[in-house]
Amino acid sequence: MDEIKLKIKKKLEFPLEADSITPDNFAGKTVAEIKKLPLYYATKKVTLGNFFDVSGKSIEVANTKIIIEGDLSNVKRIGEKMTGGEIEINSAVGMHIGNNMSGGKIVVNGNADDWAGAMLQGGELEINGDAGHYVGSAYRGYWQGMKNGIIKVKGKVGVESMLWAKSSKPANKWPTLYCGSADSFLGIHNHGGTIVVEGNVDRCAGADQAWGNIVIKGKVSRLLPSYKKVGEVKEVQLPNGEVIKGKFIEYSGDHTIKKETNGRLYIAA
Amino acid sequence: MVEKVKTFEDVCCPFCGTLCDDLEIDVDLKTDQVVEVRNGCQIGTKKYFSSNPSDHRFTKPLIRKNGEHVEVSWDEAIDKAADILVKAQRPLLYGFSSTECDAQSRGVELAEILNAILDNTASVCHGPSLLAIQDVGASLATLGEIKNRADTIIFWGSNPVHAHPRHLSRYSDFIRGYFRTDGRNDRYIVVVDPRNTHTAQIADKYIRINPSEDYELIQAIRAVLRGADLDVKEVSGVSIEDIKELVEILKSSNFGVVFFGMGLTQSLAHHRNVDTAIRLVAELNDYTKFLLIPMRGHYNVAGANQVFTWNTGYAYSIDFSRGYPRYNPGEFSSVDLLMRDEVDAALIVASDPGSNFPAASVKNLFKHPLIAIEPHKTPTSAFADVVLPAAIAGIECEGTAYRMDKVPLRLRKVKEPPGETLSDKEILERLIEKVKEKLGE
Repeated sequence: MDEIKLKIKKKLEFPLEADSITPDNFAGKTVAEIKKLPLYYATKKVTLGNFFDVSGKSIEVANTKIIIEGDLSNVKRIGEKMTGGEIEINSAVGMHIGNNMSGGKIVVNGNADDWAGAMLQGGELEINGDAGHYVGSAYRGYWQGMKNGIIKVKGKVGVESMLWAKSSKPANKWPTLYCGSADSFLGIHNHGGTIVVEGNVDRCAGADQAWGNIVIKGKVSRLLPSYKKVGEVKEVQLPNGEVIKGKFIEYSGDHTIKKETNGRLYIAA
Repeated sequence: MVEKVKTFEDVCCPFCGTLCDDLEIDVDLKTDQVVEVRNGCQIGTKKYFSSNPSDHRFTKPLIRKNGEHVEVSWDEAIDKAADILVKAQRPLLYGFSSTECDAQSRGVELAEILNAILDNTASVCHGPSLLAIQDVGASLATLGEIKNRADTIIFWGSNPVHAHPRHLSRYSDFIRGYFRTDGRNDRYIVVVDPRNTHTAQIADKYIRINPSEDYELIQAIRAVLRGADLDVKEVSGVSIEDIKELVEILKSSNFGVVFFGMGLTQSLAHHRNVDTAIRLVAELNDYTKFLLIPMRGHYNVAGANQVFTWNTGYAYSIDFSRGYPRYNPGEFSSVDLLMRDEVDAALIVASDPGSNFPAASVKNLFKHPLIAIEPHKTPTSAFADVVLPAAIAGIECEGTAYRMDKVPLRLRKVKEPPGETLSDKEILERLIEKVKEKLGE
């Protein structure tokens, strides 16, 4: 892959909105052209060159890898709407990382702030740290959030992750979240999303889930009363073909949506 | 005989979201002071008396010089305020809920010129309700409908006896309506609250719930309504038998309404509590007529949402930093911004975040230049660099306000504003003019 390297030059007092940092915008451009791309700092429109040192060149989007160094904890919207290529971030990153992306891969070697991978349409987002609230969720007012793709979070995800996730069997789209542990309201309003949690989950997991699968290998602090025990299983078959071995108690729900429902919650026995 | 006291009838009270429009105010013509308020509740009456001269009232513009507030001319104060706003890189305009709609509209204009962040007090009260309504819609009605038709009233996490004192007698409980000719005897009142409040004490059924477990209880009610046989015996401190009984009461009513307050929107789960409450109400419509109404606090917070929405498309937490409005509570809401210390100057209009916001965010607010448009001394104005004294909307100047059910009512002027005070609208207009001049527009 052709690498383009960015290094942040300044310490930020206000958030910097960097939705132009995507392989789609960088491919086929010279360093000078990349430096002219717009960013937004506080109320001012600035250029990428004002804030980043840039080196490297790439021709094709799919073959572009952007590597960003320096403290990005207050840089928002990196990788917004990207369709291919790769981004590697070697620090904590601000809000909305990889929102609306439909292809390619983003790796964050640090923590991510809120709305990581919001409205994800495809591709892969890997966070080797904790993520904030609303991971892979729908934005305010949307009824269909994450529709495809994979989010992997090594640590904890915040509240309301995978809000309004929506799968499609005919299109073979299975939005999936893997995470270490989760805060409350994991997978709320789920419409077919798959969630696998290695550790513990706070209250109200799978609230108002219409259908979908949530697998929890740890404990749930408070199970919703509207979930009902179905039985015990020795393995869980996920719709994307993956099989998870282990003893789980199977619950059906959320029964607030329907009397009989295909929504499933598996909690380690 | 010379008239000494003038009586104003049918005055609209600018205190809470109930916006009672039947007050009678006596004003002494010689001193131009309020001497008597009839029909008002304790809180509303106090607000009228607070307009009379006192140590707490600002009558001249103030600027902080060497740590002390010094009286200055309007021109100097406006110039200083405009200077602060123009120099700021990320200014915040907050408040607007206790003033009339014209002033709110000028606030939107100023925010747009400054590319500022615009927020109102819904962000710390019924903002979660608005979020939930955006997610799942809502079945709403005006209070007149409730008065004339409702026979089952639920107060969930709200205590109108203290917060909206005349709500019960004007709209929801004791009042006789067209189809509820026997008033209180024709209505069944349910109160859900962790505390045995004074509203709970006059209810027909009081459900004591564990604090911050409202979400689970509403989910259980919805599941029972769907006909599901639940595994559990008790939810949020309420037995499953009680839940089944409540579901029967709700299903067998003719016209029900849920009034919900801070107990639902500001306990854990916030907008999700309202989300599930809205869905419960929607599902109850399979059996009977059911509605819900948020118990809005400030008299014109509903108006702030309306005005902001018709101007920008969004009700609160609006960011103009890119020149067009964007909306995202959590990212652009005042408390979150202040917690992250992303604001470097603030204009507070008719509001007191100093005594309502979390301490950590107030600390960050007071760190930076602060302008307050405010009639009274408050913790916020005490720390302001510029205080612009305002006339009280609905007492000393006219305007429009929206009741909690989004019915607009006209506020009246009953006395002259004291000293050099100007209306919020006039102050904001002068500020806009000055800011434009400084920006070279």
